[in-house]
Amino acid sequence: MSALDLDQPESLARRDFLKRLSAASLATLSGSAPRASAEAITHPTATADACIVIWMAGGMAAPDTWDPKRYLPFKVGTKVADILSTFPAIDTCVDQIKICQGLENMAKVMDRGTLIRTHTLPDLGSILHSRHQYHWHTGYVPPQTVAAPHIGAWMSKVIGPRNPVIPAFINIGQRLEGVGESEEVKAFTTGGFFGNEHGPMNLPYPEEAALAVRPPKGMEPARFENRNRFFRKLLDQTPSRDKMGDYQQESMLRSLENAHRLLNSKDRSAFDITLEPRESYDAYNTSRFGQGCLLARRLVESGARFVEVTTEYVPFLNFDTHANGHTTMERMHKEIDAPIARLILDLETRGLLDRTLVIVASEFSRDMIMEGKPGSTAGDQAGYQGDTIKEMTHYGQHRHFTASSSVLMFGGGMKRGHLHGATAEERPFLVTKDPVTIPDLHATIMTAMGISPKTMFEVEKRPFYVTEDGKGQAVRDLFA
Amino acid sequence: MHLPLSSLPLLLITALPAAAAPVDFSHQIVPILREHCSECHTGNKKKGGLSMNDRASFLAGSENGPIVEPGNAAKSRLIEVLHPPDPDDQMPPKGGPLPPEKIALLRAWVDEGLTWEEGFAFQKPAYEPPLRPRHVDLPPATDGRDHPIDRLVDHYLAKNNIPRPAALDDAAFLRRASMDLNGLLPEPAAFLAFIADPAPDKRARLIRSLLGSDVAYTEHWLTFWNDLLRNDYDGTGFITGGRKQITQWLYAALLQNKPYDQFARELIAPTPESAGFSEGIKWRGTVSAGQTTEIQFAQSTSQSFLGINMKCASCHDSFIDRWKLSEAYGLAAVVSEKPLELFRCDKATGKIQGAAWLFPELGDIDPAKPVHERQQQMAALMTHPENGRFTRTLVNRLWHQLLGRGIIYPVDAMSTPPWDADLLDWLAVEFAAQKYDLKKMLEVICLSQAYQSKSQTLSQTTDAAGYHYAGPRAKRLTAEQYVDALWQLTGAAPQKPDARVVRMKTSTAAATGGPVPAKTATWIWGSSAAPGNTPPANETIKLRYTFESAADHPTLGAVISCDNEFTLLVNGKEVSRSADWMQPQTLLLPKLIKKGKNEILVTAKNGGDGPNPAGFFFQGLIQPTEGSAIPIVSNAAWEWSTMIPLEWKPAVIVPTVPAWAEKIDQAATGLLTAAFESGSQMVRASLLKSDFLMRTLGRPNRDQIVSLRPNDLSTLEAIDLSNGSILAGYLSKGAEALLARPWKNPDELTAWIYQFALSRNPTPAELSTVRDLMPNGPDATSLQDLLWAVCMLPEFQLNR
Repeated sequence: MSALDLDQPESLARRDFLKRLSAASLATLSGSAPRASAEAITHPTATADACIVIWMAGGMAAPDTWDPKRYLPFKVGTKVADILSTFPAIDTCVDQIKICQGLENMAKVMDRGTLIRTHTLPDLGSILHSRHQYHWHTGYVPPQTVAAPHIGAWMSKVIGPRNPVIPAFINIGQRLEGVGESEEVKAFTTGGFFGNEHGPMNLPYPEEAALAVRPPKGMEPARFENRNRFFRKLLDQTPSRDKMGDYQQESMLRSLENAHRLLNSKDRSAFDITLEPRESYDAYNTSRFGQGCLLARRLVESGARFVEVTTEYVPFLNFDTHANGHTTMERMHKEIDAPIARLILDLETRGLLDRTLVIVASEFSRDMIMEGKPGSTAGDQAGYQGDTIKEMTHYGQHRHFTASSSVLMFGGGMKRGHLHGATAEERPFLVTKDPVTIPDLHATIMTAMGISPKTMFEVEKRPFYVTEDGKGQAVRDLFA
Repeated sequence: MHLPLSSLPLLLITALPAAAAPVDFSHQIVPILREHCSECHTGNKKKGGLSMNDRASFLAGSENGPIVEPGNAAKSRLIEVLHPPDPDDQMPPKGGPLPPEKIALLRAWVDEGLTWEEGFAFQKPAYEPPLRPRHVDLPPATDGRDHPIDRLVDHYLAKNNIPRPAALDDAAFLRRASMDLNGLLPEPAAFLAFIADPAPDKRARLIRSLLGSDVAYTEHWLTFWNDLLRNDYDGTGFITGGRKQITQWLYAALLQNKPYDQFARELIAPTPESAGFSEGIKWRGTVSAGQTTEIQFAQSTSQSFLGINMKCASCHDSFIDRWKLSEAYGLAAVVSEKPLELFRCDKATGKIQGAAWLFPELGDIDPAKPVHERQQQMAALMTHPENGRFTRTLVNRLWHQLLGRGIIYPVDAMSTPPWDADLLDWLAVEFAAQKYDLKKMLEVICLSQAYQSKSQTLSQTTDAAGYHYAGPRAKRLTAEQYVDALWQLTGAAPQKPDARVVRMKTSTAAATGGPVPAKTATWIWGSSAAPGNTPPANETIKLRYTFESAADHPTLGAVISCDNEFTLLVNGKEVSRSADWMQPQTLLLPKLIKKGKNEILVTAKNGGDGPNPAGFFFQGLIQPTEGSAIPIVSNAAWEWSTMIPLEWKPAVIVPTVPAWAEKIDQAATGLLTAAFESGSQMVRASLLKSDFLMRTLGRPNRDQIVSLRPNDLSTLEAIDLSNGSILAGYLSKGAEALLARPWKNPDELTAWIYQFALSRNPTPAELSTVRDLMPNGPDATSLQDLLWAVCMLPEFQLNR
């Protein structure tokens, strides 16, 4: 298998993939598979071939990152209501855009992307992070009567892999076992009704990603090859010859062959971040998240279609600050600032940024005072509920705010050095112009990837659209 | 309401603020046409020559010519007649003009070009499944094949000129039946005995023996029912207490082979143990009107018991079948404490819906009765002898499980025509005649030649012209079957199940009396429980028991409960804890007790808001490898202490509260016996929480009801089978275990693996290939590779 030729036109690579590797699903044969709409859908011309979602899990506070407001430093006795941001604003390389101190590297790359300050999210009545995350990642509010596919699964299903040996949907950094709410996180980290073929390849530990595509631990390449040869020989000798052409058997063998090919392909070195030059590795290596950004870059370079990298959702950790928010945010700035900026620059240097859409987003924002949004019935979950700051742990954004949050979009056909929308200068930080909802944000992402927001599959005879009920509309103003 | 025409234009503007958003045909137009036009212009009705059945007939117009010009409402007669200059031309003719917002929608719809949902039509579906059971006259038997199923199937094949599939040989039958009925590979000894057995009735005896293996049968079919009733040990909703398991109820129901009508009744009108199904998943926060727990009840009972998709109708009148929003809400209202308001597409309609049954011809549910009575009425109607849809749905599911493809497919879409209605109806009537006996019905199907024939060889175009029965279809092993088979081969099954079930029949447990001697435990506590006193709320104390063991590493088994909660350590290691005194904990520890002094240490806590009875209960047994068992029970020989300071004093015997006696004391002996018994049975994958390997192999998140598992292996799954650490771990354990056993020669080992994994002997060519893999005889590496290769063969991964 030759490596992906990035100059090769997209459609050709796709056709090639289909011809060489894909097997029509058996589910199709048996009639239970999701059926594509019989109506012809015109897909838009793609402005991006690859997509990286950088997921700031746990609710990233916009006032302490991309949407600085009035800053008051920590001081015992300060009224909580007087503090809007716990970090001062700094200039960026774009005149009209200021962001928070601690994001100096990002400040230097803001001219490469678009900052949306008005991503609005619904209030689901009660804050359960995983429920909002389900909504963001599938476009549908849980519970649903059918298993909703993740946006990565949609890309896998509709446009498929870019490089046939690199799985189309790769999910980096989120552990699915042994952390709180993991069952809820699993519920949307799936191919949904598209099935496992379009589900994620999960790589919770970037440093161990190479293991996922290597022959089993402790198995020398020679033995791996030998084992496969042995298997093939046993297979040829199977006496039930009447089943040799059986479609189900053939399909099974084709999948096993594909797997063997990936595990033997030189493309798998993309998964091995230890092969990265020292300087570059160190630049990314702020944390597991930083390593994830590096892995995402290597995978996209090798032809990955959709990669998500997360700071990881673990209840009350990372961005999920119910107490001690300022101190935690200082650490989070350090974790995310250098690697994201480096990722953007690396993609640019390699000529990949134009056709790679990078999105930085979170399930909602945070606020010092307001839980949910004005009029919300969501319960207060902050650790400290007093009116004045008495100690450092009280200083930070400890409530979940859904009325506006910030999203960054780089490359992939988006405007550069652009600011979209504005929020109020005083609490509550309501959108004052140009709101962007989840359906519209998804429509924008899908349109950039060449997928019509009206793309529909029928499951259990229900039409199910890539954006909720097919109603998402791409935000034209974001495109260059 | 009558509106002067002159006021219309203004109203149109105000009534349609969202003029920019395109009209939604399914949600906005269909209801208007259905409510106001369908009576005269859909189905077979063509008043004035106009049919609105589909877009084409809409465009064809009436006997007076076209009624619409797509893209131009102003020139469309359809819009004009809604508010015509001459009131006599008014449409609809009765009931006055349409409200202006509806007219505005229709106008916008025409202006936008008359968009139409592809494939949508107003006609009634061509096929409406029958309700009542139907007695079928069997065609004559041919070639002596006189099983009713064969008389029907042979007749179908002959009628359709489809060749009869060849008969399955003994070995393949053995593997198929074992997998289908017990979910396990037949062991090599059983394989050899079966093929050597000359008795003509050996297949029937095998079927009965497999069905008679109560625990194996239960633990295999648990997977099917867990999927169908979305029960699991972990998953969405449990985190906030918004979901309950029905595991113990379900396990016991399968173990006792509870008749299916009673089974269904207990799920619809539940006991606390079976309530998890009907109560659904309660999400934190607000959910759409189409996913309240009441609506989930309507959806789940319709899907699981009737194969009816009520999901569409939970939001609006279904576009795909005859079910209406009011009918979905009628079922939902059965379990609603308050009057249920109809929500259409998440918007309140102001209409109140009372409890109602789907098939009024069988009887009604009285909406005025309290919830539990309504549930009982619904349970009775669901299992009404004249409800043929209930029995058809179930026998179709069984047929699908056994023959790889339902007579109606997909199995949850029972409004699809069957490929042979006689066969389906015969099975359904037979099932009721067999008193809803699930095992009996499986036996009936397995005894047929149809079941005992070779599976169909598929090509990509097999179903191109629609499905025709031409023999059973191969089934991919479920995740649980695959993992169980791996554990059988490698001995790598875990020690403890996640499901808290008694892995034997309780009647058996009680009857054997087990190894447990008569000495029984008493409830103990500290001095606060001394006569005349009641322990305070939330009091926390320590309890301990120290003893000498003469034997090294005897097995300690015990049943434990504490009102209200406890943590228990044996020799410093935590082995059990619980905060639910009504769920007695059992433990079986093969290694922790050592020769010499041992200590059991408990932290016990009372609950409540004020003083209330507290007690700790421990009934255990130490069983050495040889010799008789020694009881260990909570009694005055135990000691208690306050948390601080530690001052040990003899424990106080607490008078047994009647509820304790009923829930714990009386069950303890049976549970303890079961714990010792189950220690010798392999833990099954169906009893475990899903792990990475099982998810890879298609075990679903049971957030929704999943009645069909994926039948194909995806590339990501294949990657995990090729290098996943869980599988590699099993193979490594397996190789180690197999090497430790005495083999006469490597061929004998190979034959054993082939017999176990594939229910056949290896051919000389295969033996030679394996010898080439291990020229110096088997070692850990080559044996792992052999096991891997065999487990990758489609012959292993499929049940055919």
